[in-house]
Amino acid sequence: MSTVTALENTTQAAHAKRPIGKIVAISNMSVSVLLDSYDISVRDIIYVVSNGERSYFEINNVNGNIANAIPLSYVYGLSKGLDVYVREGGLRIEYSDEVLGKVFDALGDTIDGTIIAEPHTKNIYEKNLSMAEINIKGDILWTGIKVVDFFAPLQKGFKMGMFGGAGVGKTVLVKELINNVYTGQGSNSVFVGIGERSREGRELFDEMAASDLLSKMSIVFGQMGENPMIRSRAAYSGLTVGEYLRDEKSQDVLVFIDNIYRFLQANSEISAELGNMPIESGYSTSLLTEISEVMERINSTESGSITSFQAVFIPADDMTDFAVNAIMSHMDGQVALSRKIAEKGIYPAVDVFNTTSKLVSVEGVGERHFSLVERAIAHFARYEDLEEIVAVLGIDELSEEDTNIFYRARKLRNYFTQPMFVSEKYTGIPGEFVDIADVLNDVENILSGEFDTLDEGEFYYIGSVKREL
Amino acid sequence: MSMDEPSTKLSDSIKEKIAAIKTEENVYGMGRIARIRNYIIEVSGLEDVGFFERVVVGDKAEGYVSRIGRNQVTVELVRVLSPIFVGDEVTATKQPFGAYFSPSSLGHVVDMFAEDKIAGSIFKDREPVGAVVEPIPIMDRTTVSRPLYTGLAVVDLLYPIGRGQRQLILGDKKTGKTQIGLDAIVNQRGTDTVCIYVALGKTKKTVKEIYSDLLQRGAMPYTLILTAFQDDGAPALYRTPAVGLTIANRFMQEGKDVLVVIDDLTLHANIYREISLLADKVPGRDAYPPDVFFTHASLLEQGCQYHNGGSITILPIVETRGGDITDYITTNIISITDGQLVLSAKAFEQGQKPAVNFGLSVSRLGGQVQEDLLRQMGADIRRELLSFLETREVFELANIDEMSEDMRNQIIRGRILLEKMNQYKFSPLAPTEIRTRFEEMTV
Repeated sequence: MSTVTALENTTQAAHAKRPIGKIVAISNMSVSVLLDSYDISVRDIIYVVSNGERSYFEINNVNGNIANAIPLSYVYGLSKGLDVYVREGGLRIEYSDEVLGKVFDALGDTIDGTIIAEPHTKNIYEKNLSMAEINIKGDILWTGIKVVDFFAPLQKGFKMGMFGGAGVGKTVLVKELINNVYTGQGSNSVFVGIGERSREGRELFDEMAASDLLSKMSIVFGQMGENPMIRSRAAYSGLTVGEYLRDEKSQDVLVFIDNIYRFLQANSEISAELGNMPIESGYSTSLLTEISEVMERINSTESGSITSFQAVFIPADDMTDFAVNAIMSHMDGQVALSRKIAEKGIYPAVDVFNTTSKLVSVEGVGERHFSLVERAIAHFARYEDLEEIVAVLGIDELSEEDTNIFYRARKLRNYFTQPMFVSEKYTGIPGEFVDIADVLNDVENILSGEFDTLDEGEFYYIGSVKREL
Repeated sequence: MSMDEPSTKLSDSIKEKIAAIKTEENVYGMGRIARIRNYIIEVSGLEDVGFFERVVVGDKAEGYVSRIGRNQVTVELVRVLSPIFVGDEVTATKQPFGAYFSPSSLGHVVDMFAEDKIAGSIFKDREPVGAVVEPIPIMDRTTVSRPLYTGLAVVDLLYPIGRGQRQLILGDKKTGKTQIGLDAIVNQRGTDTVCIYVALGKTKKTVKEIYSDLLQRGAMPYTLILTAFQDDGAPALYRTPAVGLTIANRFMQEGKDVLVVIDDLTLHANIYREISLLADKVPGRDAYPPDVFFTHASLLEQGCQYHNGGSITILPIVETRGGDITDYITTNIISITDGQLVLSAKAFEQGQKPAVNFGLSVSRLGGQVQEDLLRQMGADIRRELLSFLETREVFELANIDEMSEDMRNQIIRGRILLEKMNQYKFSPLAPTEIRTRFEEMTV
C-alpha cells in the first residue's frame, strides 16, 4: 500500500497538526500508543510517518492513556517513539455515481488506475437500519439454475448463502449467478471480494469488462494475500457502496460477496493478535456482534432493495462450525454444496437435504412446486437407504416400488446437474438458463414415471428435457 | 566458578544499564539478553530498534525482532552458531532482516543465506533478498492460460496445470507426492523455466538423493534446491518458503517463468504453530495460530501470471493422515490453491501410479490452460472415468457377466482407461504422445 488517497483527501490540513502521542510497543498486527490527549476513540484513524511513508492504523481499544491500534498495512521497520497523528473522518469510501465501473480496495482507494476528481466520501461504519425502515416484500427472482430455483427459490431482498467446503464449487456458483441474475436484471450491482484468490478477482474484472457489464458494477477487493484489516474492512466498504445505490439511486441492487466467512476469519486473526481470549476454534470473542453488524445492513427499504448472494466457506468440512452457523442464522435461503456429491462429478454439487429457502411453502411458490419439492426430497432420502442395500444385495432384491424410486432418484439427481455458462471453457458444453416452468414439468415427469424408458445418462448435464428431445 | 557465571553476567548487565542511564549514555542500539526460551529471546535495551530488524548476538547468533514491547524486545533467532547466555550483548544492525541469493547458485543445494550445503561454503556473489512476501496487486496480474506440462498423462490430460497456477499435491506418506513435483521439474528441461525446489525439514540424505535424481536427469542446471533442515531451527524453517518465493519473484520480474515446489506446507504449519505457542500467541483451531490461513495465503498468492509475461507456478505439497483431506490445514490450503491433485494410499497399493484419486482431484482452471489438442479429449475422458468409478462403486458386488451390455462395456472401457493412466517415474510424455495413447478411447 503506497498511498492512501481516500484518506488523504478527507483531511488536507492534517499536516499542520500536533502529534497526539507516541508509539510505545509494536507487534505483528498491533501498536500501542501513549496518548497526550484523551480525545481519541475506537475506529479513529491514526498514522505515523517513517522513511517518508505514512502507515495508517485504526484504534481498536483505549485504556487510560494507552490506545491499541491495528495497522491497515504492515509494521515492518517501525520503531518506538514515532510521533502519531490523527485523521478525522475515519475510514471512508466514495459515495457517488463515481463508484460505478471502478475497482476499490478495502480502504476506499481505486486500484484500477482511475482517479476520482472530486471525491464525495462517506464513513464505512454506517449505523444499522431501524425495524421501521426494513421492507420485507419482494418479487420472486428466478436464477435459471434448476437446483437453486427448485429447492431454494428466492425473492428480491433475500440473503442467499452458498455454503461449501474447500473446492466444491462455491465460486463457480456465485459467478453463474452473476451471469444469470445480473445480466437479466439490468440494475447496478456490487461485488465484494473478501479473502479470496487474487487470480479470480482479476478474472472477474476481465470478464465483466469483456461482456460490457463493468460500467454498471462496483468492485471492492480485500483478497487473501492482504493483511486481516484489509480483508475485514472490505465488507464494510462494499456495503457502503451498495447502500449508496439503494438509498440514493433507489435501485434493486445485487450484492455478491465472496466470501463472507473470510470476514469473520480476518476478525479472528486481529482479535488474537490483540491478545483477546478466543472462543471455540480461535474465533473472535465478538464474532456474533461482528456478523450482525454487517448482515443487518443488508436489507431492503422503501427506496430500494439489496439482494445478496454470499459464498460461505466451511472450514475442515465442518457444518457445525461456530462461524458458519452464525452466518447461517442470518440467511433467508441457503444452498449447501457437498464434497461427497462433487466427488461423483455432479455439479453444482448441491446437497438437497440442506438446501432450502423461506419461500419454500404453499404461500411462497404455490402448491404444485411445493409438493414436488416434498416428493423429490422423499425420493432422495429413500435412495440413500436403497444405495446401501443395492451395494450389498444387488438391484434385483428390491421391490418394484423401490426399484422405481431407485432409478427415478438417480435420473432426478442427474437432471439437477447443469451446464453452466461460466464453466463452458472447462466442460466444453454450452451453458443453459432453464425456465422454472420446464423444471417443474420435468421433475413431475421423472417422478411419475413418464421418463422411465429414458436412460439415466441422458439427463446428465442437460437444460430441460423438452429441449433435449 | 562456571556455575555462577550467568548470574555474574546478569548483575553486571543490571549494573551496566543503571550506570548507562545515570550517565545518559546511549543504550539505544544495544541490549542484553534477559530471557532465553528455545530460539526466542527477550532482550532489554534496544530502545530504537525497528520491527523485523536484523539483530546479532555478537558472532554467536542472528535473528529478527518479532515484537517490540514497552519494556522488552522479542527476538527470534534464525541462526545460532554457538551457545548464548542471559546477559549476552545484542546489537541492532539498522537493516531489515533478509536472506541471500546468489545468481550463480542455480544447480546447487543452498539455504536461505546462500550457503552451498554440499560444498559447505557461502557464495561470494550473494545479494540480499527479502524474507517476507508482499502482495502482488490484482491489476498487475493477467489471465492464467499457458500450459505447464508435467509430462504426466493424468495431470496434463485430466487436471492440467497452467503457468501461474497453484496446484496442490496432497496425500498420505509414501504416496508419491514429491515424485510428481520432481517429474514436473524434470519435464521443464528446454522450456527456459527456472525451478525452485523448497525442501523443508527433509533429512540431509533425502535432499542429497533428490539432488542426485535431478542431476542425473539433466534438471539441475535450471534448478535451485532451497533447503532448511530440521536442525536449522524453527524460524529458519518458517521463513524459507517466503525466501524461495522472493527469489522466484525476482526471476518473474525479469519476465521468466518459474516453477516452485514447496515440500511441504504441513510441516510449515506445524513449525509456525510451535513458534506461535512459544511466543505466547493466542491459539486457534487445533492450536494453530489464527493467522495460519493468512500465512499460507500470502505465500501462495505469489503464484501468478504477471503482466510482463513472467509467471510463478507453485506446486505446494501437503501431507494428510489416514487419507483425511478434510482436516483444518488441508482444507485451508485447498481453498487457496487453484486445484488439487489428491493421491490415495489405496490406489498406490493397487499399483496405480501416479496414485491419483480421480473423484477428489480437480483443476479449477481446467481447459482454460490446455491446448486444443488435449482440451476436449481431457473433458470427455474425465467425465467417462468418473461415471465409471461411480458405477463400479454402486455395483461393487455385482457379477460383470450378468450386467447389461451397456454397463459391461462401460466397466471394461473404464478399466482400460485406468490402465492407460499408469506411468513410471521420470518417463515423461509429450502432449502429442498423450494424445496418441488415448486416441482409441475417444471413439
